[in-house]
Amino acid sequence: MRLIGFKGGSDFSISWRSLGSWEEQRNEVGMRMKTSRRDFQSMATLGLAGLALQMQGWTGRANAQTRLGSRSIVSGVQFGIQPFCYHDLDMTIANRPELLRRIVQNGLGMVELHAVWCEPSFATGAVSRQAAREMLREWRTQTPRSYYEGIRKEFNDQGVDIFGYWTGINSTYTEAEIHATFDAAKALGCRGVTGSQGLAMSAKLIPYMKEHGIFMGLHNHDNLSDPDALSNEASFEKGFSLSALFRATLDLRHFAAGNGDAVGFLERHHDRVSSVHVGDRRKNNGRSTPFGEGDAPIVEVLRLIRDNQWPIVALLEFEHGTLRKEVDEVNLMFDYCKRALAS
Amino acid sequence: MKFWTLALVGVSLAAQSVPKEQYDFAYIGQPLPDPMLQKAKETYVVLGCAYCHGLNLVPRGEAPDLKRSKVVSQDTDGKMITALLRSGIPQTPALSPMPSFSDLSDQQFADLARWIHYARAEGHLKELTEVGDPPAGNAGAGEGYFKQNCASCHSASGDLAGIAQRLRSPALKMAFLKPKLVGETRSWKIDQLRDTKKTEARQRHQHLLENYTAEEVSNLTAYLASLK
Repeated sequence: MRLIGFKGGSDFSISWRSLGSWEEQRNEVGMRMKTSRRDFQSMATLGLAGLALQMQGWTGRANAQTRLGSRSIVSGVQFGIQPFCYHDLDMTIANRPELLRRIVQNGLGMVELHAVWCEPSFATGAVSRQAAREMLREWRTQTPRSYYEGIRKEFNDQGVDIFGYWTGINSTYTEAEIHATFDAAKALGCRGVTGSQGLAMSAKLIPYMKEHGIFMGLHNHDNLSDPDALSNEASFEKGFSLSALFRATLDLRHFAAGNGDAVGFLERHHDRVSSVHVGDRRKNNGRSTPFGEGDAPIVEVLRLIRDNQWPIVALLEFEHGTLRKEVDEVNLMFDYCKRALAS
Repeated sequence: MKFWTLALVGVSLAAQSVPKEQYDFAYIGQPLPDPMLQKAKETYVVLGCAYCHGLNLVPRGEAPDLKRSKVVSQDTDGKMITALLRSGIPQTPALSPMPSFSDLSDQQFADLARWIHYARAEGHLKELTEVGDPPAGNAGAGEGYFKQNCASCHSASGDLAGIAQRLRSPALKMAFLKPKLVGETRSWKIDQLRDTKKTEARQRHQHLLENYTAEEVSNLTAYLASLK
């Protein structure tokens, strides 16, 4: 396998065969991995527990492809969707069946599922915001694992694998809530938990990642004025330095808007990237655009993932406007990506 | 009317190159009778504003509520909205900065401002008229508001003399919240193009509608009801 600019000059091989649940991933022996001296030193520093976790982190990253068949794998690149694409659909439990129907209609086999598709909203006019927050906290900590396993079955039965659990973990979360969120992600079959939390909040999540053995995805926007925000390469490097378990959920749209070089970033940090959000935007904090009209190097990034066989999931996402039905627009976006990989 | 509405939809769809069967009527809604407004609405959707700020200004996520926006409330001719759109808000404590829309045409800026003001006025009208029975207003305070905001065009002893005998609430309230000229499609007869009085009146009433508080409406209603 040829790797471009692999950090530290190391090399690894990945078994592409489909794997089971995250617990099974932990014991997967088909994974073959070589690490660089630098990686080894890092592991030694982490200690034995850290070593196991880092390996698991690698494993989780390597198992990007769906375990449920070959749906939406194009030229070796696993595609999925960020359900925010279906803008007309309120993100609620009640709308989850319609979400799943659309994902299947779009021919996609992987999703990054927002917590709000699983968690009830208690924010009605009848209760105060604080009371609603308390009710949600209690719900999170009381909900059994079987609830999330049921949701996982819903998706899996339709051939859709839940890759990541998108959450909004913030300072209002109690320890019990954070544990419950990580437990939920594992019960859903996710490889990791992802969110747009800043660096300070991310640092607080390190013990939870270690305990639960799944990665935490760092998702960027383009807020270059906030030193705590994930936005450019330097901010990601700060995040990566906090723990070997962090992975980038690299948003190509926002990275372009923040004048970042996504191709260079992937060349240098692909081993720390679990997924890319595929969309287009103009640089200099510009607006979102239809695919191919902005400054995000969508074609280049997809080919980079394909040609190097990196296990990085490409999650379609759009915030550019359209008069089309969302399913039709997602079809157009997916077609654009397929054409990018056709030659 | 029906023919023209359908014809306008056809023109609109052709302009956006969206086949009619793919047009998202469920999300965008049925075409509005006013083609300028329909175009403004579609521009707002196509440029992605609706996904954060809401098609009818019910925001999602951390996007500001444009119904409560200070900038929009002070904008009367689209210039303040345009300036903000051009620059975006790159320096912000928010997670995701407001993008810059610096590449848009003047026409697109005008369309965006038109839709924002229209949706804001309609949303506010709904809030002001669907609250049930409002508390009784203070006619004295209403008179003060009238003198400050209405007296440059209207007069209690002139055009509004005896208004309470001709109209009773809620018709009286609706008469000043949304006068007929605010809702009607603008005429393009050449002898009316320079009719700045009507244009200004429309803008002025729309601006007031966007910004009335419930208390101001109650007070103004009480004052006008006293003009017998």
